[in-house]
Amino acid sequence: MKETYARKWLRDALGIFNLELGRLLRDGGVMIIFVVAGFLYPILYNFVYKNGVLEDTPIAVVDDADCSDSRRMIREMDATREIDIAYRCTDMQQARGLFQERKVNGIIYFPEDFGERLAGEQTAVFSIYADMSSFLYYKNLLMGSEFVMLHEINNIKVERFRFDGLTDQQADASVNTVLYDDNNPWNRAFSYSIFLISAILMLIIQQVMFYGMSMSVGTMREENRSFASLPDTLSGHGVGRVVLGRGAVYWLLFMIIGIYVGLIVPAMFGFPQRGSFRDIMVLLMIFVTVCVFFCMSWSTLVTRRESAFILFLFMSPVCIFLTGCSWPATAFPAFWKWFSYLFPSTFGCQAFINLNTAGADLEIVAPQLRALCIQGIVYFVVACGAVYVENFVIKRKDRIDEVRKGMEQRIEQRIERRIGAGKTQI
Amino acid sequence: MTFSEKIWNVVRREVRIWVRRPIYIVGSVFVMAFCTFFYLSFLKDGVPSDVLIAVVDLDGSSTSREFCRQLDATQLGKVVHYDDFASARFDMQGGRVTSVCVIPEGFNRDIQAQRQPTMSFYINGLYFLGGSLAWKDLLTMVNLTAGAVQREVLRMQGVPESTIMGQLRPVDIDIHQIGNPTMNYGAYLANMMIPGMLQMVVIILLIYSLGTELKYGTSRHLLQTVDGDIYAAVSGKVALYTLLFTLIGWSIEVILYKWMHFPLAGRLGQMMLACFLLVLASEAVAVLIIGCVPVCRFALSIGALYSVLGLSLTGFTLPVEAMPAGLRGLTMMYPLRYYYEMYVQCGVFGSGFGQWYIYVVALLLFCFLPFLVLRRLKHAYEYLDYERN
Repeated sequence: MKETYARKWLRDALGIFNLELGRLLRDGGVMIIFVVAGFLYPILYNFVYKNGVLEDTPIAVVDDADCSDSRRMIREMDATREIDIAYRCTDMQQARGLFQERKVNGIIYFPEDFGERLAGEQTAVFSIYADMSSFLYYKNLLMGSEFVMLHEINNIKVERFRFDGLTDQQADASVNTVLYDDNNPWNRAFSYSIFLISAILMLIIQQVMFYGMSMSVGTMREENRSFASLPDTLSGHGVGRVVLGRGAVYWLLFMIIGIYVGLIVPAMFGFPQRGSFRDIMVLLMIFVTVCVFFCMSWSTLVTRRESAFILFLFMSPVCIFLTGCSWPATAFPAFWKWFSYLFPSTFGCQAFINLNTAGADLEIVAPQLRALCIQGIVYFVVACGAVYVENFVIKRKDRIDEVRKGMEQRIEQRIERRIGAGKTQI
Repeated sequence: MTFSEKIWNVVRREVRIWVRRPIYIVGSVFVMAFCTFFYLSFLKDGVPSDVLIAVVDLDGSSTSREFCRQLDATQLGKVVHYDDFASARFDMQGGRVTSVCVIPEGFNRDIQAQRQPTMSFYINGLYFLGGSLAWKDLLTMVNLTAGAVQREVLRMQGVPESTIMGQLRPVDIDIHQIGNPTMNYGAYLANMMIPGMLQMVVIILLIYSLGTELKYGTSRHLLQTVDGDIYAAVSGKVALYTLLFTLIGWSIEVILYKWMHFPLAGRLGQMMLACFLLVLASEAVAVLIIGCVPVCRFALSIGALYSVLGLSLTGFTLPVEAMPAGLRGLTMMYPLRYYYEMYVQCGVFGSGFGQWYIYVVALLLFCFLPFLVLRRLKHAYEYLDYERN
């Protein structure tokens, strides 16, 4: 049979694929990272953020007003999901003590004139003191007391209109001139876990692949081998074969991990899965491909087995911020916005959040997928470039060494001549 | 050789290693500088402004247009107009706008006729901060709109201006945010994220420093320089790293509280003490890990797993009491947890020694951990009988 270019290409790529697969499977350290981190991290994070919602924040109340209105409001606040009236204190001093001992995370204070002002149709003000050491305490105290306040305002106003002789319906129409109806369809309780886990899952794929691949590249470097050496039969060509052959190994491994992370873990933890299976598979395929080229490009810089941990571990939390799941992407400073485009996780996490958790379809996440594709092309070229440069250096190692030696010699000679000249002057 | 001479020998040896391999300085100084720069510049606004709110104005009356203008004028919100709900929802589902507000047809007419029109909000709670802020903004604006309508009615009825406010808003809240009066997210996150990164870097780098001795088989040379005294060998290394990381940590504290002027109720000295103890305790954890698992790569993987989870388990975002009961005990294994508690006492409440000494004790207790494993580490250093890679 005639050996066509395509056939030869495939055979070479398959050879490189087999080589790399064998190398990975034999490297216990890398496999541990893939298996333990890839399979354990999603579970651990789901476990930490399982509840996601903070309920019944303990609050101390100081009721100097001691009127029926303040007592009713305290009862209503205690009944909210957010607030638990844990202590009723006689004065602020006592409440402050509890606050500092961290027995309560906030104080509600009704001043003496609260009831009088209310009766006199003036604005009656009560105070809340929130512990800002975690914003969730503040959110709970504020939401709980604000709901009760709005409810009270409504009741008081309706009551007053009724005194003026309006019917219930008229009073209601005069008070609630505009009604509203608020929906938070994909994260009803503003659960911390739903927003964070959606973003973390895709990031785990990228980071685990990066640490694993860097470790493998570092090992080869330590053993004075190169990750990129072209088989001799290729006579210097076939950069694409090396990149795609090697990449296919990681791609296959990480499609397995990706399916586990993106489809099985959410199901295991009863996490919302509103996207269609097909759409999520399409995203995973694109995302994993881009991650492979991304990791190949950056792991070129790694020279030792462990250095990826030391130099890049701090990037994981940074990448979470760069996805825009917490601080909105529209408010990113310009520099960090551009910086975030370096990482596949930026678009991958956004697309996963939209597809899986918000139930979007591929048309809606098209901008993210397009960005991922552009990243993929760029990183593929960079990865090929890295292999080419690496081979260039290896092949001409002797020549480069010669040049370097020659230069060193010349410099030494020159220095010697200078010194010699100096001596003669002396 | 006296103990101090031995330590001096180790320090000199370690400095030579640093000079030969820049990874130690890059991995500590550069990484921490990058992190500090990132968290301080990324969150420099404190509170995000101009989050995109989609408005579908089906009414197009003067009232609804006034509502849009008012909403746009708030610091938080920026209005994007859409012609129909479908396209607004499309963009909200794609995360491009944080929320959608639909003003129904006949909004103005219904208000005038007291027919109580209903506005609808849809919020994307998956982009947490943007979503919750947009929600807050929309709620405020709709309450203000209802209030404005009532104010007009009251004025028409001839109620004097002085009592209108009491009528419109019979009850109000006076909010005091203790420890962060401007609700600055940058201060909130950077205060703990940067020390969290410091904990991570200390653990990883010290494990690496102690582990490479095993990996490259130089541990015997290290023991030779100290006459086989493992206490001196580890103390010497730890002393140098303590100096390096304490200096880094103190610079961070100065940057946070003096340069950025993040709120601090107590004294800077207290936070510096906390930072010094955080460094010591993290080093103790690092020695414990490499002592238990004297294989550089394994120890690093464990250290990485441990320290990355530490950021979540400290409880400054999702408080510890909201975690599953089984995990609450685990949070006590992190030095950062005590640093956080100490920050709450010193930084938020400005409490005295009586309130925070217990956290100093807890962080000091970590320093006993290495003694559990030093003999084991010495064995590994002498015999090199573990897997190297």
